[in-house]
Amino acid sequence: MRHDDDRLRALMLAGLTGDSVAHAALLRALLSPLRGFFRRRLGGRDDDVEDLVQETLIAVHQRRASYDPERPFGAWVHAIARYKLIDRYRRSGRTTPLDDMPELADEFAFAEASDARADLDRLLDTIPAKQASVLRATRIEGLSTAEAAERLGIGESDVKVSAHRGLKALAARVRDSWQ
Amino acid sequence: MNSDDLIASLTRDLRPVPRHALGRRLGLGMVLGGLVTLAVVGGGLGFRPDLALAMHGATFWIKWAYTISLAVCATAATLRLARPDGIVGGWLRLMVVPVLCLAMIAVAELAVTPRGQWLALWLGHSWTMCSRNVLLLSVPIFAGLLWSFRRLAPTRLALAGTSAGMAAGAWGATLYCLHCPETSALFVLTWYTLGMAGAALVGRLLGPRLLRW
Repeated sequence: MRHDDDRLRALMLAGLTGDSVAHAALLRALLSPLRGFFRRRLGGRDDDVEDLVQETLIAVHQRRASYDPERPFGAWVHAIARYKLIDRYRRSGRTTPLDDMPELADEFAFAEASDARADLDRLLDTIPAKQASVLRATRIEGLSTAEAAERLGIGESDVKVSAHRGLKALAARVRDSWQ
Repeated sequence: MNSDDLIASLTRDLRPVPRHALGRRLGLGMVLGGLVTLAVVGGGLGFRPDLALAMHGATFWIKWAYTISLAVCATAATLRLARPDGIVGGWLRLMVVPVLCLAMIAVAELAVTPRGQWLALWLGHSWTMCSRNVLLLSVPIFAGLLWSFRRLAPTRLALAGTSAGMAAGAWGATLYCLHCPETSALFVLTWYTLGMAGAALVGRLLGPRLLRW
């Protein structure tokens, strides 16, 4: 992601100096992430998705003076796409005052995060309890091995082994559920 | 149109964007609007005849310090709100500081003025026109800002409109000082502030309509 942002930012900066090849490459590189962004939120109405993608590209192009080269490129594009999405909602009659946008965006982020958390909980329920609690402590809460060992009342090497086995078991579950 | 054709048409004849384009664009909009306002103050209302003399006195500079500091805060907030991912920071709240400073000066002024003259201090000679003039003088500057915003990307339209209205009002008031001979801090605190707040309110109401993109 970080790497991707650097690449897009480099294209953007070249585009700002008038390099039309870089600018075209940037707009093409945005197509797929923007389609994904709008499709997830509009639920598969492909015409609408493509309309919004194009409106966003036009805005990225016409309003590129509003990009601050010191800041991440992804956040800027994301803010534009979000604005276009909410503008679309509003035009289609949903009453979403524009000034609620940051909150609404947080709601999006929150909904996604809580979906992800629910998925994670379901997965962690399928592996042994000790491994699950070690993973929660070290990978989700971010405790160190020593802190986790103290919290759970087990040895540090036990924490390491359980984390390792737990991750392996989770990977196996995810692989199974994909097939 | 398919998206590839769109990209081809957008990138044909690509013009470079200079560094600090956002600041330049907003600055240009305000300066162009400000020139119109200045022309109205100079040509329509007339500069105050004692302007050169007044510029040697403190009251003129107190008025300017008040309107210019408000204008700087509102302009800084507007610059930030012109970016889609912009954060206003404390600029709008910072405007409380000049208001409080002028309020303290007004209190000091009242303290040394006999009670019977307080009303005259407050209303001056032009209280019926002052707020309205400030509001009207803000219009060209606000229009200039609207032009600037056509290449920028505000996403919080009501807030961006408020901030742009306030900037236009405060710069308009700054230029109005070149005409207005009133000297009391209480007068400025009331009638200038009312005019600037009116401009901010107009910006708030118009922002969601006129700044959409």
